[in-house]
Amino acid sequence: MLRSFYIVAWCVALVSCTPARPVIDEQMMRVDGEMPADFSGSWERDYSRGDDVNQVLRDIYYYLSRTSADRAYTTRPGPVQPSSRDMESIQALARLAELITRPQVLTISQNDQEITVDRKDDFSLLCAFYDGVAKGTDSDYGTEICGWDGDQLVSHLIMPGGLQVTHRFTVSGDRQQLRVVTTVSSSTARVPFTLSRFYKRFERLPPDFNCIETLSMKRVCSTGEIEL
Amino acid sequence: MIARARLPALLVFGILLPFPSLADSGDAGALNISIAVLDSGVPADRSLHRDLKIFPRIRDIESRFLPFVLRETLVDTGQWGAVRVVSEPDPAAEVSISGSIVHSDGERLELRMQASDASGRLWFDRNFAASLEEQQPDTGDPEAASPFQPLYDEIARALRESRQELGEAELLRIAEISLLRYAVELAPSAFGKYLETDEQGMYSLRRLPARNDPMLDRIERIRLTEYVITDTVDAKFRELHEEIASTYALWREYRRKSLEYEQQNARRAEQTRSDATRGSYEAIKNLYDNYKWDRVTSQEQDRLAIAFDNEVGPVVEAMEARIDELESWVDAKYAEWHRLLEELFEAEAELNRVGT
Repeated sequence: MLRSFYIVAWCVALVSCTPARPVIDEQMMRVDGEMPADFSGSWERDYSRGDDVNQVLRDIYYYLSRTSADRAYTTRPGPVQPSSRDMESIQALARLAELITRPQVLTISQNDQEITVDRKDDFSLLCAFYDGVAKGTDSDYGTEICGWDGDQLVSHLIMPGGLQVTHRFTVSGDRQQLRVVTTVSSSTARVPFTLSRFYKRFERLPPDFNCIETLSMKRVCSTGEIEL
Repeated sequence: MIARARLPALLVFGILLPFPSLADSGDAGALNISIAVLDSGVPADRSLHRDLKIFPRIRDIESRFLPFVLRETLVDTGQWGAVRVVSEPDPAAEVSISGSIVHSDGERLELRMQASDASGRLWFDRNFAASLEEQQPDTGDPEAASPFQPLYDEIARALRESRQELGEAELLRIAEISLLRYAVELAPSAFGKYLETDEQGMYSLRRLPARNDPMLDRIERIRLTEYVITDTVDAKFRELHEEIASTYALWREYRRKSLEYEQQNARRAEQTRSDATRGSYEAIKNLYDNYKWDRVTSQEQDRLAIAFDNEVGPVVEAMEARIDELESWVDAKYAEWHRLLEELFEAEAELNRVGT
């Protein structure tokens, strides 16, 4: 029963990631007034919840075996083994998704114009709004756009070669729980790979020192007010 | 507060200073130069700043910092009169220089500069650029010459060449027009009749006031007083330069290194492009890492920009506050002088009418 639920949920996620519908449309990139949700704070990974990578892989294997093109060439009833190319592609996506979602701590800062998600060993996700319109970043290596889907913050990264990474952030009503759904897709894989991660809010202890970064003196700290 | 208390003393000092006669200009070529704080060249559309890799606060500081390097270059030539950095363009200056920052990333500096004289004649309006690769490496030593010194030398050369195109009489005329433009601003009733402007906005002399005109005497004394204040403002820009030069050199060095990292990222992306099988983990991880390192490099630059502002921001703010204080004082006095001179002119004109 639970397995069927996962399959249905996974198929819904799959449909929502099909190229026919953009992950972020123009409407999602507009904000009138305040941001729909507040993600600011420090978040640590809740390992008791969230997807198991191997389980998601098994679900995809099951899905691929029921929808494999090879089924058309066999008279044997029931699932057929997905092609090795399909499985290699999906395993690659799974490994990358696992790598991207590895950080144990997320530090999110948010004001009226920007949301920054700092992640250890990775670049910070940035969602900046100018006059209520999200402005993405664009370079030779990829395009990053963001927007709001209701009260979900969506960050979408499109890289050359058809590789795409989408993060959906949802915060609970009491602002104690954060869910991040990460989807990695590629033009070489038949289906995307999606992982859910959960985080719990934690309060950082107030620092004993006030510190600021400088160029010539690096980090300058003081128990009182800093005068350079 | 101490500085405010000193201002009346400066005024007295200014009034007691000797002043040159309108026809006694000495070395005609040694024109005074006013260099305005540069336009930072930051687009109003904030959404473009990241794409253009512009750090507005740092551009703002550069716009105050770079004119001083040009000032020092011009002073070192010994070919000009007083060279001052001022906070606003001064069209009545004998030679007025203004401009904007087109590009500044630590490796390449490009400025758009205009120079004109008091008659409204445009000396030049063009871009000046220099790249670090063409010059000596930046040592980060604030005492060393600017790594973009050739750019400032080129501006100095352009100024000298423009001046060489003018005869001595024209240079003398520039000084006279400059004084009269200043006089017209302060006392238009008394001096408006001496100048005329054509359709192109060029100023020319109708005639000169008498050498012993008491109104002109007052104007020159006021101008000298204003010069004392301007020199105090100029000294503030010098202090700023001295205080932040070493940090600015560090910033430039870090930006140059960031550009090197960007080039390394590009080489790395090129090298990994065809190594792995398309769709394999190595291939997609390379794609992701290419993006990741590009963003990390960019975000490191953001962090350095904040560190730079943390360090020099308080110095710049203190300087801005002091300059605002001085300029507010001048503005208030200017309005007062304007009113007094107009009243004096009316009174003297009335006396003349009664006398005749």
